Amino acid sequence: MPEVVLQAEQLTKTYSSADKKLTVLDQVSFQAEQGTSLSIIGPSGSGKTTLLGLCAGLDVPTSGSVSLMGFKLNAMSEDDRAYVRNQFVGFVFQNFQLLSTLTALENVMVPLELRGEKNISARAKELLSRVGLTDRLQHYPSQLSGGEQQRVAIARAFIASPKILFADEPTGNLDEENAKQITDLIFEMNRQEKTTLVLVTHNLELAQKTERILQMKGGHLIQDSRVQIKNQI
Amino acid sequence: MIEYIIKIKRKTKNIFQDRWVWKMAWRDGRHNFSRLSLFMAALVTGIAAIVAISSLNYSFQNELDRNAKELLGADFVINGNKKFDSAWKEFLDSAKVKVAKDADMASMVLFMNSGNSRLVKVTGLQGEFPFYGKMVTRPTDAYLKTQIGDYIMLDELLAVQFNVKVGDSIKVGTKKFLMAGVVTKIPGGGAITATIAPAIYISLSALDSTGLIQYGSRVGYSIYVKTKDEQETKSLLTKVRPLAKRLGNSIETVERRKEGLGRTFRGIYQFFSLLAFIALILGCIGVASSVHIYAREKRDEVAMLRCVGSSGWQAFNIYFIQVFVLGIAGSLVGALLGVGIHQLIPIVFKDYLPGNIQFALSWRAIAEGVLTGAIVSTLFTILPLVSVRFVPPLTVLRSDFLPGKIFSRTRLAAIILIVLFPILAAAYQTKSVISGATFSAGIAVALGCLVLVASGLLFLIRRFFPSKASFIFRHALSNLFRPNNQTRMLMVSIGLGAFIISVLNIIQHSLLNQVEFKGNSNQSNTILFDIQSSQKNGVVDLVKKHNLPLNQVVPIVTCRINKLKGKTIEEIRKDTIRISDGLLTREYRVTYRDSLIRSEELAKGKLQRYSSGKTDSIFVTVSEDIGERLLLKVGDSVEFDVQGVPMKTIIGGVRKVDWPKDPPNFIFVFPPKALADAPQIWVVATKIEDQQAAKFQKELVTSFPNVSLIDLRLVLSTVNELFERISLVVRFLAFFSIITGLIVLAGAVINSKFVRIKENVLLRTVGARTSQIVKITLIEYGYLGLFSSLTAMILSIGGGWLLTKFFFEVQFAVNYGELLLISLGVVVLTAFIGWFNSRDVINTSPLQALRKES
Repeated sequence: MPEVVLQAEQLTKTYSSADKKLTVLDQVSFQAEQGTSLSIIGPSGSGKTTLLGLCAGLDVPTSGSVSLMGFKLNAMSEDDRAYVRNQFVGFVFQNFQLLSTLTALENVMVPLELRGEKNISARAKELLSRVGLTDRLQHYPSQLSGGEQQRVAIARAFIASPKILFADEPTGNLDEENAKQITDLIFEMNRQEKTTLVLVTHNLELAQKTERILQMKGGHLIQDSRVQIKNQI
Repeated sequence: MIEYIIKIKRKTKNIFQDRWVWKMAWRDGRHNFSRLSLFMAALVTGIAAIVAISSLNYSFQNELDRNAKELLGADFVINGNKKFDSAWKEFLDSAKVKVAKDADMASMVLFMNSGNSRLVKVTGLQGEFPFYGKMVTRPTDAYLKTQIGDYIMLDELLAVQFNVKVGDSIKVGTKKFLMAGVVTKIPGGGAITATIAPAIYISLSALDSTGLIQYGSRVGYSIYVKTKDEQETKSLLTKVRPLAKRLGNSIETVERRKEGLGRTFRGIYQFFSLLAFIALILGCIGVASSVHIYAREKRDEVAMLRCVGSSGWQAFNIYFIQVFVLGIAGSLVGALLGVGIHQLIPIVFKDYLPGNIQFALSWRAIAEGVLTGAIVSTLFTILPLVSVRFVPPLTVLRSDFLPGKIFSRTRLAAIILIVLFPILAAAYQTKSVISGATFSAGIAVALGCLVLVASGLLFLIRRFFPSKASFIFRHALSNLFRPNNQTRMLMVSIGLGAFIISVLNIIQHSLLNQVEFKGNSNQSNTILFDIQSSQKNGVVDLVKKHNLPLNQVVPIVTCRINKLKGKTIEEIRKDTIRISDGLLTREYRVTYRDSLIRSEELAKGKLQRYSSGKTDSIFVTVSEDIGERLLLKVGDSVEFDVQGVPMKTIIGGVRKVDWPKDPPNFIFVFPPKALADAPQIWVVATKIEDQQAAKFQKELVTSFPNVSLIDLRLVLSTVNELFERISLVVRFLAFFSIITGLIVLAGAVINSKFVRIKENVLLRTVGARTSQIVKITLIEYGYLGLFSSLTAMILSIGGGWLLTKFFFEVQFAVNYGELLLISLGVVVLTAFIGWFNSRDVINTSPLQALRKES
């Protein structure tokens, strides 16, 4: 049986405003196995991004728990969660989130540099070559097109050989042609690296490329299509 | 699923071990270098001021230590205001020590070559003075000549001023001397006093033959003593002190001279340090404010770094390294600038500094400056940077996400250290925690007042916003309230510099106004003194002959205090109530009359006439200020020793005296007749116009050689010149503060560049022309300059009034024209700096801006 990489249990996230509480995620549970892909879809405000943030350890739930590669994220300090992210997680965001003051090559190297690894530029160059940016190594983000920036982001996401890749609307800021190329790239690299893919999107066509679709509405998980996996503890 | 790892074994590295943060600091910093450098430039001026002032302090302290004995020229000096008692000769002869003597007094001299005359300090020297240090003369045998013949030496400046050359004749009193040479350096020579009353040197025996020393003449006598060694000095002093006390003399030792000079200098040093420190603190606040915005702009990048595994401290360290390294660089540049300024001091103040101070490079001052820079750049950047540690990684998904309030021990520690730092730094400099605390409180009050006035002004602008003004003026004004604009901070920073310059201007104007003669047509500008009773009518006739007004002809009697309220001086000294010893033992020059003069008003009591025959009913009046210090009130008794005759008096009234007005003024005024028979001299006050001065002075010196003349205009111009030089330093330091403000302004303009580009794009899209955008920019910074200078003016008028009333105790006077000029300068400078740094923003085309945005 494939190993469970991510397990969310009864995840609830509530925000308090002046006089009321707003529950943006309510008792959501699911799990993801090694090498599988799933997408989270739903209308705006349904809780997709909140769910992704909690699963990736970018935030902590009000109640419930998240286990990522066996680590109980909500019991950890922020710096410990950062360590877990560095070791096991890759990210691709809608607005690329490249460091503007670093070249494409430097951006890609950052996760491994943080691990303290040496001689990493060869690996970074190889990844940039795989995403088709061999001649753009020393370019800064502002000198790259949107599609190129997202390729750099994908290379950065895969350089640390993550166990799980979280992608938040990865094609949301791209034109149709670039969107297709980026989609292909993510899925191809995901297959090659045997990474678990968690994708948040509005785009049903894109979502259908994953093995599972979790449909969110009003903070609830209303449908988990294709294979329902039984929770295992 | 198996939870196979429970605890993380995460290696944490400190800033020195973590090479990645240094690498990232460099990678990120290379793109923000110009911007970061500007933040740190704000430190440069403060550090430069601190290093310059500190170097000056060390130069002076070194001079004191190096030439301690040269300051006095002897191991100790016995001083007196009358010829020494024969007991001194016996004592010093038996002690077998080397002695030299001098006597000095103020008198007029006549330069025969030109017919000009001048009030000088006539010094009669005898013996091998100085025992330590050297008297440098030109030619070298000049001093020897004065000791063997009727020769005279002059201070170099005086000789130059009156174009006197070797061999020229100079008349001192009734005697003519030949010029032997000039004195270029003499131990203990005070350069500032020499400017007001330059000295001439003759032999002590020649002084007696000039006829200058007459009844009432104020002559200072000194015996310079050289001992074998320190041991002998100590043992001699134990015997000398009681003898001096018994004979009414005072003793000055090397230590005491050093202390006195040190104390005077310390006061000046502390004042300048305060200004320098304020410039530094302002710079630091500017840096903190800019770093705060910088850190906020870095939020997204920090969030991304957190996503890929950076710890909060690592993210913090990246930016901390950047500002710290540039802080050190800024401090080094500041220290170099400070050294340059220190080297300029002897050039600017050459006429006012003792010629032998060595302005050597002080490594200690440089090290202190750099260390101070390192500390302040650390403290003031930690505070705004702490927030970087707490940027949640979720920000990459939701940029508007704000974490709740997070308690940070680092932030708390930084705040405590920021509060403690000025206290500790000042305590280190002044070697006193109380001074340090007072110093810091001073800074806090000054800055607090500025913040308060600036906030008040901004509140009023918002409250009474000119909504009907034209678009350009309205828009420029509302730009001041743009988020992150640092308007208040800039108003404080630029305002502080303008405030210091304006206060200085008010004080200078108020002080000079006291002795200004232009406005008061009858006020005396010349005082003739040391007039013997037998010469009184002759001098009065001479004044009348020259058609000069006789403003005052007053008798002067010298006396001392015997008893106050029935207690002898000795008894008062033993009391717990402290009255200055100087006031108890000094010689008082009193006069007698039964009316008040223009500079006086009766504050308490009344003027009473003298009833002859009743020795206990002499009612005198006392000046309010000295009366308070002697703890005297109406009805108290004071017994005077008038030339050996005890005279009991009662305080009948207290006079408020406006000292500089209508001189001479007196502490004690007796009723007429009470002192009519006492030995006395006379003073005549008159007003001489420039064209009459030389002729009158020449005739006075020729006819009455012992009568001296004080030309108050000369004193005024000397004081004014000295004030101008001191002002130069204060203005220079205040200018540092303005420069700091302008650097902070440039930083703020650059910080708000992107917001302003967006605004301009919007304006251009709706049809604004470049000229309109330029106008808006210029007016916006013009407003900023205007409000900064308004802040400064409001406070400087308030501060100036307080200082003139309570510290200088002179009438408050403002030259509004000059204040307006200062304000105008600030407005123009601010508008220029604002516009200069906005050129990019103004010239960016909408399309360029939109591309950058995307």
